[in-house]
Amino acid sequence: MQTESARMTTAEEARYRINYPNSSPRAVKVVALDIPSEAVVKRVAQGSWQRATFFTAPKFEGAPKSGDRSSMRAWLSDLAGRTKDLIDEIATADLIVMVASAGTNADAASVIAEACNARKVMTTALIIGSAAKSDDELSKTLASLRPNASMLVIASNDDYIEEMLVALRA
Amino acid sequence: MLRKEQNDLVTQTGPGTPMGQLFRCYWLPALMADELPENECPPVRLKILSERLLAFRDTDGRYGLIDEFCAHRGVSLWFGRNEEHGLRCPYHGWKYDVNGQCVDVPSEPVESGFCSKVKLKSYPLVKRGPVLWTYMGPPDKQPPLPEWEFAIVPPEQTFLSKRFQESNWLQAMEGGIDSSHVSFLHRGDLHSDPLFKGAKGNEYNLADMKPYFEVVEQPGGLYIGARRNAENGNYYWRITPWVMPTFTMIPPRADHPIHGHFWIPIDDEHCWAWTYDFHPTRALAKREVDAMKDGAGVHCKYVPGTFRPIANKDNDYLMDRAAQKAGRTFSGVAGFASQDASLQESMGPICDRTKENLVSTDNGIIMARHRLMRAAKALVDKGTIPPGVDPEHHKVRSASVVLPPDQAFKDAAKEALTSRPGVAHATV
Repeated sequence: MQTESARMTTAEEARYRINYPNSSPRAVKVVALDIPSEAVVKRVAQGSWQRATFFTAPKFEGAPKSGDRSSMRAWLSDLAGRTKDLIDEIATADLIVMVASAGTNADAASVIAEACNARKVMTTALIIGSAAKSDDELSKTLASLRPNASMLVIASNDDYIEEMLVALRA
Repeated sequence: MLRKEQNDLVTQTGPGTPMGQLFRCYWLPALMADELPENECPPVRLKILSERLLAFRDTDGRYGLIDEFCAHRGVSLWFGRNEEHGLRCPYHGWKYDVNGQCVDVPSEPVESGFCSKVKLKSYPLVKRGPVLWTYMGPPDKQPPLPEWEFAIVPPEQTFLSKRFQESNWLQAMEGGIDSSHVSFLHRGDLHSDPLFKGAKGNEYNLADMKPYFEVVEQPGGLYIGARRNAENGNYYWRITPWVMPTFTMIPPRADHPIHGHFWIPIDDEHCWAWTYDFHPTRALAKREVDAMKDGAGVHCKYVPGTFRPIANKDNDYLMDRAAQKAGRTFSGVAGFASQDASLQESMGPICDRTKENLVSTDNGIIMARHRLMRAAKALVDKGTIPPGVDPEHHKVRSASVVLPPDQAFKDAAKEALTSRPGVAHATV
């Protein structure tokens, strides 16, 4: 007699896999950490997304120091330029994606990561534009992002961001 | 997730498909060399990239890989006689050489030259290391032979096996770049398998179930680094290279041989899981080879006379719930290879990726798919040679290393990630 393992793996039996939405859309918040990545994030935001929202960290030079909760209150901006409360945004996120350009110091990542850690929200960091930068410049960005992201991706093409967000059902 | 059209694109490798064109840019493992052990030995049937083929070794030791079926009446040439520099069809005696050229049609006068007008499709078949490799693309685009380290070290330093997997190639390959499953599915074997046990790295592996990942593009594909905590604030890194479209090398443990895989499509619902083990600086010990032949490490035991794993879907993979409950195995299935195969086959013949829910730690898989789709599109649209064709891209190694926290693995382990003949691998 045919085993159930043999039967259930046939193409014919695949028709009986239950067809229903097995997850709810996740709230993915994408944050550009520097000026070059801001342009990329604005382009990506033009796409059609379920629950992805896009932000910039506008005070790149004056990013709040880690633990400075008062500074976090008015730190993110949405793409229309409206100020957003970092803590509130993270509280409603399933995943934070930070986008940084190779060669930048990505200081803002530590503040975002601290807030994510407090809320147990996963963080992913993407480094773009690495092909045009030296290893030393890339290492500088890596060093600032590594402690602050559970997944770190160095992508040669900016279009990977869209691909990743689609893959994550954002 | 992938949209349906994307899933179709990356899983279909038959003639004329974009991913089929991509695969046909590479030298692919077709047979183990010992499947054609001597001149005029029996021919071997095989299917690769949805094409039915026949491999044989002629009187002079030349290898041939030709269309399986006689051009006359379509019978399988597997029944043929391997004799006097060619393979003769037993039905009416038509005979073919290793290039598929018909060299004799007994019913026709030799002077008519009829046989010169009959030629079967053929592909080159070349021995390199323990593998017979084939290239199935346009002859004018044939690349140099592969330079994979396991295939160019002395024969006593390498071991090869293959197993039949009843699923699409991609879901099998994706398991090879999914480092996070090791701490779950294979955890029962890390301390007991003779080709894994005793490594300090195992302790790091099992102590930290939530590794951090870094995915870095490299010319031939990707490096996927899994980072776990080590002593004194340092990190234990396991770095897996993936070279397009389907080569991976598992990070080493202690002085055990290094192992890895190719997943080669047979058709869209089956693939060969090729498995190699090699040591860069020493001969494999007899006990290691015996263990590999006995199915240890990432190899498997076979149904006698076949390359089908003895634990397969027809016997529910020899599921042992008592072993699962006792923690000797995590899934109840024994052995790394069968553990992977059982779960990957359970996804169905072609995994429906429209229903999956990837998480951020799956970025290695997401990036690999992205690279495959991008390369297939560039090949079809512009004729761009894909990554991984250049033999320089084959000169990679996996590594397991302990690094200070501020060092990028791709820089700190640069030498360790490059194959260096005669130089030991970086391992913990």
